[in-house]
Amino acid sequence: MFGLLGTFLGTLVGVLPGIGPALAIGLLLPVCLTVNPTSALIMFAAIYYGAMYGGSTTSILLNTPGESGSVITALEGNKMAKAGRAGAALATAAIGSFVAGTIATLLLAFGAPWMADVALTIQPAGYLSLIILAFATVGTLLGSSRIRGLVALSVGLVIGLVGADLQSGALRLTFGNMNAIDGIETVTVIVAIFALGEALYLASRHTLLSTEVIEMKGKAWMTREDFRRSWKPWLRGTAIGFPLGVIPAGGSEVPTFLSYGVEKALSKNKDEFGKGAIEGVAGPEAANNANAAGVLVPMLALGLPTSATAAVVLVAFQSFNIQPGPMLFQTNPEIIWGLIASLFIGNTLLLVLNLPLIRFWVLLLKIPSHYLYAGITTFALLGAYALNNSTFDLQVALAVGFIGYLFRRFGVPVTPLIIGVILGPLAELQFKRALQISQGDWSILVAGGFPKMIYGILLLVIIGPLVWNFKKKFAVKK
Amino acid sequence: MDIPQGSSIISPQTFPYMVAIFTSLVGFVLIIDVLRGRLGTPEGDEPGDPFMGANFKTMAMIATAIALHVILLEIAGYVVAATVCFFGVSYGFGSRKYRKDFGISLAFALIVYFSFTKGLNINLPSGFFEGVIGNG
Repeated sequence: MFGLLGTFLGTLVGVLPGIGPALAIGLLLPVCLTVNPTSALIMFAAIYYGAMYGGSTTSILLNTPGESGSVITALEGNKMAKAGRAGAALATAAIGSFVAGTIATLLLAFGAPWMADVALTIQPAGYLSLIILAFATVGTLLGSSRIRGLVALSVGLVIGLVGADLQSGALRLTFGNMNAIDGIETVTVIVAIFALGEALYLASRHTLLSTEVIEMKGKAWMTREDFRRSWKPWLRGTAIGFPLGVIPAGGSEVPTFLSYGVEKALSKNKDEFGKGAIEGVAGPEAANNANAAGVLVPMLALGLPTSATAAVVLVAFQSFNIQPGPMLFQTNPEIIWGLIASLFIGNTLLLVLNLPLIRFWVLLLKIPSHYLYAGITTFALLGAYALNNSTFDLQVALAVGFIGYLFRRFGVPVTPLIIGVILGPLAELQFKRALQISQGDWSILVAGGFPKMIYGILLLVIIGPLVWNFKKKFAVKK
Repeated sequence: MDIPQGSSIISPQTFPYMVAIFTSLVGFVLIIDVLRGRLGTPEGDEPGDPFMGANFKTMAMIATAIALHVILLEIAGYVVAATVCFFGVSYGFGSRKYRKDFGISLAFALIVYFSFTKGLNINLPSGFFEGVIGNG
């Protein structure tokens, strides 16, 4: 029942152009706060997959990918839709998402507890090294400019500092404002930076072009030929997407691009790529969904979100006083298994619900954009307010909205900011714990095999691309 | 900053200083990056010229609509604040069918207000509707 509602709401919000999965969950958070935690988690799981899937519909029919993971889908899917094959594109996206989601959720069910067991042995210093690794990969791998990713991360860390220090109660960066003592609400930041920032940005450009919705002819179904061409890309997409979600590789951009590359290289119909090849939709869509499930592994097992969407899910957990991490598997295993079970249900419902309902979603795409953005803005403000019933949160939202605008305008990615807001306080906590164990001896931070290994990987992640670029430049000069 | 007595070995200032150093560092590198001519450009592939001047007039309209929502919410209640905000944003985005816009704004505000207060038991400020339409 809640699963059904969640899938419906998730797809509904996800389909709307300009709303990515992170914003969709953020917007729906106040709705979930009133029901009991178990039902809410089922809804979240359903919304998570629903919003992911909704994004692909928008990409295929409107050519406006709501998030980086759908860029590739837009590339081939929109071409297919223009060629009158919208039904096949939507169907391969839906079934591909289902196949990938099911396999990936199975892997999640087996992988997460194992990872949590390992995680229990990690000392605070090792944990801190993991967080720093996540900072580095999210900060440098997203977006086109490495330095801008790090700038976003630092802004996020500063926002995360606001409020009373957890251990000593010392007030930091509150500037005498009583409302700021509890810190800045993460949901407010997420909703404001995506919704308000985007609205301000679009308004500043004032390019209200009427985007063209491609009419869908016939049913959302595939021919036998389409099936034959889709099933391998689905499986390959899953194989690429899931592992890249588990390691903090920075969102769904990399796996979808990789999957596209692989499908293009393996295809017998290379000339179709760029003109609407079904493999180019099937593979990346599966990769995107498998990636979404993969990201949940470190989120559940370590409490480390590595994508904006996972960050929102983490915040959703926290609003029920559930702290994801290795301990959760011991204290509340029923929550974890409940969530995993609901992921299965949500995924299945998605397929059952969406193939027949596609015509309804298409209608949503015809909402005039000024109403759409008016609605998103108003609803985002509601979400920011309803959490604490405080207008202070709204003032924060407006300010963060401006930051979001500036980020958008100057090509600064926002995910590192969100990761910074969430993981900053966690990093400080682990940092302090480590130093307390060692009685203030800083060398504990690099003591032991595990932190050393992680920092080694960190160096590779940072230096690797630099060497790569240097080599490329060198080769070009030659 | 007031630091309470008896706090732990690590001062609550240590981590903020580390963040400050990091922030200054990346800020410095960003300045160099921009001075070397790598100005940021918006990502994404929306149609239109990315270097076209910003239209601050429309942007100000949206910002005003949001600010009005913040101010009005607890004075006049959710329905008024949301109607004003919805109307303001759609005006800012270039819609000029005032009557239709107003109708949709009001309808949106009412639907959200009632589904949240009655359906989900989340209290929203009722403003001067209090007593007229019940208080959640």
